[in-house]
Order: sequence, then structure tokens, then C-alpha cells
Amino acid sequence: MSGHAIVVRDLVKTFKRRGQPEVRAVDGLTFSVGRGSIFGLLGPNGAGKTTTLKVLTTLLRPTSGEIAVEGFDPVKNPLEVRRRISVVIQESAAELFLSVVDNFATFGRFHGLSPDTIRARTEDVLDQFELRADAHRKVMDLSGGFKRRVQVAKVFMIDTPVVFLDEFSTGMDPILKRSVMARLRQEAARGRTIVLTTQILSEAEDLCDDILIMKGGRQAARGDIHTLKLLSGGLFEISVTFADAPREIESAMAAYRPLRIEVSQNTALITVRGEESSVLDMVAHLGRLGRVLRLEVSGASLEDIFIELTAAGRLEVS
Amino acid sequence: MSALGAIMYREGKIRATNLTFIFWDLFYPLGYLLVFGVGMTQAMGMKPLAIGVDYNAFFLAGVLGMASFGIASNTAWSFFMDRDNGIFYEMLTYPMRRSEYLMGKGLFNLLISIGQAIVTVVLAQLVLDVPVRWASMPLLAGAVFIGTAGWFFFYAIFALTIRRNDLFNTVTSVFYFILLFASSMFYPVEPLPSPLRELSWANPITWHVDVLRYATIGLGDPSRIWLEGAAFLGFTGACFAGALVALKRQ
Repeated sequence: MSGHAIVVRDLVKTFKRRGQPEVRAVDGLTFSVGRGSIFGLLGPNGAGKTTTLKVLTTLLRPTSGEIAVEGFDPVKNPLEVRRRISVVIQESAAELFLSVVDNFATFGRFHGLSPDTIRARTEDVLDQFELRADAHRKVMDLSGGFKRRVQVAKVFMIDTPVVFLDEFSTGMDPILKRSVMARLRQEAARGRTIVLTTQILSEAEDLCDDILIMKGGRQAARGDIHTLKLLSGGLFEISVTFADAPREIESAMAAYRPLRIEVSQNTALITVRGEESSVLDMVAHLGRLGRVLRLEVSGASLEDIFIELTAAGRLEVS
Repeated sequence: MSALGAIMYREGKIRATNLTFIFWDLFYPLGYLLVFGVGMTQAMGMKPLAIGVDYNAFFLAGVLGMASFGIASNTAWSFFMDRDNGIFYEMLTYPMRRSEYLMGKGLFNLLISIGQAIVTVVLAQLVLDVPVRWASMPLLAGAVFIGTAGWFFFYAIFALTIRRNDLFNTVTSVFYFILLFASSMFYPVEPLPSPLRELSWANPITWHVDVLRYATIGLGDPSRIWLEGAAFLGFTGACFAGALVALKRQ
């Protein structure tokens, strides 16, 4: 257990509402997260990601199961867990009536930082999150994206060993998002454990060392990005751009039973499962439909795997 | 800094963003005493009450009780503001116990209520010649402190259980109407008609205001006052336990 920041065994969380059947939001989930790793919890809406995160962060009591965050049980020792975590919840959360710097100051005080440390770290995050120009404005006067910056920036004020980020990049522009992702990698390299949920799968693909895909409160798949891609079992993505898009492309490809065809302007994006020889036949067929300007064949993306796993039946992964 | 200190710092920072809040909190009981108390005395041509004091002196404890009640309901209402800002759930992941969160949230406003009581009592004597018992000021401070805490915990149960701001406002209006008028806040309880009198004796506002009245002008039977004080302490403890359970269920 010493190498794991988080250990979860047979976690179950049910919700009962009067006059309605019991809902099993999390149904026998088991996983562990290594120290210093970036762990992605993915799944469609209602898969149980946020419920799992709420249990781990002491916001919800589990119905059953064993949990340890940095060795402490969130039910028996919630305070010890809270001393070791920082959390960016899914909803926008900031002290709207306080200025940006006062938001950092109050957060720092809750986490026991001295005034000098608060000042130094405030300087750091103001630059990192490009908030210096707004440092003394009340958060209520900032746009939604800037409010989110303040919320995420707080995580970098403190040194808790575990960081939970629920949809952290909502409202961030691509440049800032890239900078925050780089900082998250640095934090992980320093030994902090990052647990994140996201709907933006490219983000998880870029960032996560370890990914758990949930569906219906259970594990649908688990592994690093390369392991997950192996699960795709011959899933290919073909992107082809024609000089003039042929009209009959969908009917022409129907014989290959593609999982998805999206045609936009002169470009067709096709996802197909099959043997390599069959994919090569398909590419040749595409070449006969019209003049090809650009052609790219790649293995499945995380998004393809995600859609396949969560839209179809549950996959057992060893 | 302790969790209690941190949450007091936060509440203080939020209050300090608008000094009108603090000014209003400090001076509104005095304003009520001047407008309502003096107005009633002059307009109705009121003579000293049968219990031997004039209405301004009698009403001083009433405005202090009302101020405690008002500041407590406003503080509890701020749970809705925290929820709307999203910060409520984030704060529940901060390194503090739920009990510290609850106490810390009330503590800054308890200090404001003490300041409010000092301003009101000092100016009541200087401006209205209310015969204040200065020797009982420690008791008054304790009564204001415990009173505001008790009513804050009472309202926190509803603020944490009810999810709708408008419903909470309706609940507070109902409590204002019933609890303030079926009590010793505006008039002595003894001459009231029977059902209202019994209701008033069972009302924690009566217990609180009677202690405040004893502490400010020495009115009341000490043995009954101590009993009412003990009952209010029990009420505060029960409300704290109830609010804590409600907070843990969030």
C-alpha cells in the first residue's frame, strides 16, 4: 500500500429517494492510484466519476467498501484526509465578494500557510494564471473563465500530496490550458498525485499516466493510454481529403461496415474495425472515388475507445 | 492559523468589503429603540409600565434580543450565498471539522453582536436615560453571545436542510412573526391572554430576552432568570447538534 496514494476496494455508493428505486451510482469499484502519477477517471455523464471523487474527498460517505487516501480512511479520519488533499470541484467555486488576492489569502490561511508564504505563492500563481492585471478586482466582476482560473490557481498555492480536479479546464483558453497541464506534469514529477475527471479526452490522452473508464458505476476499462489502445482490437481512423468530395462515399464504404463516417466539406473521417488488409482495401477504394489531396490512417484515439467502451456493453479487462 | 481563525478571517474579509453592512449591524438596534421605543412612548403617551419601569427601559432588552435574532438569521442565510458561489462544497474539503466550520461561521458575527450591544446600551443610557446596571455587563455580554449563537444554530438547521432560498425566507418570516410577537420582546408576558401567555413562556426568545432584561435593567426574579438562562443554554446545545447533523448530511 505504501506506493499508493489512493486505494479503493469494492466501493459502493447508493442513493435512495422516497418513492423511487435505489440508484447504485458506484457499484463495486476497485482501483489504486500510484504516488506521483496523473490518474484520469473518465466516463459518460452519470457514470459515477463525480460520486467517486466526492467519496474520496470526504464530501460523501460510501455505502460500503474500503478507501484509503494517503493511508487514511475518509470516513474514520476525514480531517486527516482533508489535510492531505486539495480539490477543484466541478462547479465554479470562488469567494465572489473578495478580490483575487484575497481569495488566495483566505485559501492559504485555511491550509495553514504563513502570511509571508501566502504573499510569495500569490505572486507565483498570479503570473502563472495571468491574473496580475485583475489581482485586486473582485472575483464577481471577472468572466466565467477567469473565475475558473482563480479556482484552479488555488491548488498551486499549497503542497498537499493529492490533488483532485473535476473538469478543471472548463472555460480555459487553449494556451492557459496547456500551461496548466505542463504545471500539473511538474507537480506530479515532484511527487504529487493528481486525480482528474474530464470529458475532454485529448486532455486525458496528453496528461494521464493511468486511466480508468467508468460506465454505470463500474470499471469499463483500465490502463495506461497504450494498454487502452490495445483494447481497440483493430480499430482504425481514416481521414481523407478529396479535391471534390464524392457524393457516393457513404454507400461506397457501407460494405466495410464502418463504425462512423463524418463528411465535412471535402474531408471524410471514417472509423472502422477490421484487419489491416481490409483497411488497405478500403483506402484503395477511397482512392478510386476521386482525387485524394491528403490521406491519414491512424490507430484509434482515446475518444474512439471511449465511445466504443461506453456505448457498447461492458468490457472485462484483465 | 487554526481553522476557527481562518474562517473568522474569511467572514471578516467578506463583511469588510462593504462597510454599510457593519454600520447597519452596529447601529440598527439603536435605531429601532429610538424609532419604535421612543415613538411608542411619545405617540401613545405611555406612562411607566405596571412593573415599574418606562417603556424605553423595558424595550432595550427587546431590541438587543431582536438584533441577536436578526444577525443570526442573516448569518445562516449566508449558507445560501456560499452554495450559490460554489464555495460551500469546496470549503467542506478544507482541513477543518464540520463543527469548526459551523462555529467559525458564527463567531465573527457573535463579535459584531457584542459590539452592537455595547453601542446600544451606552447610547440608550446617554440619550434615553435608561437606568443601565453596569455591574451586570459581563452577564449581558454572555447573554448576547449565547443568544446569537443559539439563534444562528437554530436557523442553520433550516438553511442547511432547505435547498431553496425563497423557502428559507418564508420560514424566517414565519418565525419572526410567531416567535417575536409570542414573547416578552415587546410587552410583558404576564398580562397576555392565556394561550398566548403559555406560548410565550415556552418560547426561547422569552428566555433570552428575560435574561437580557435582567442584565440591562435588573428586572425579573433571579431564580426564574437563571432557570430561563439554563433552558436557553440547553436550546443552544440542541440546535448546535441539529445544525451539525444537517451539515454532515450535505
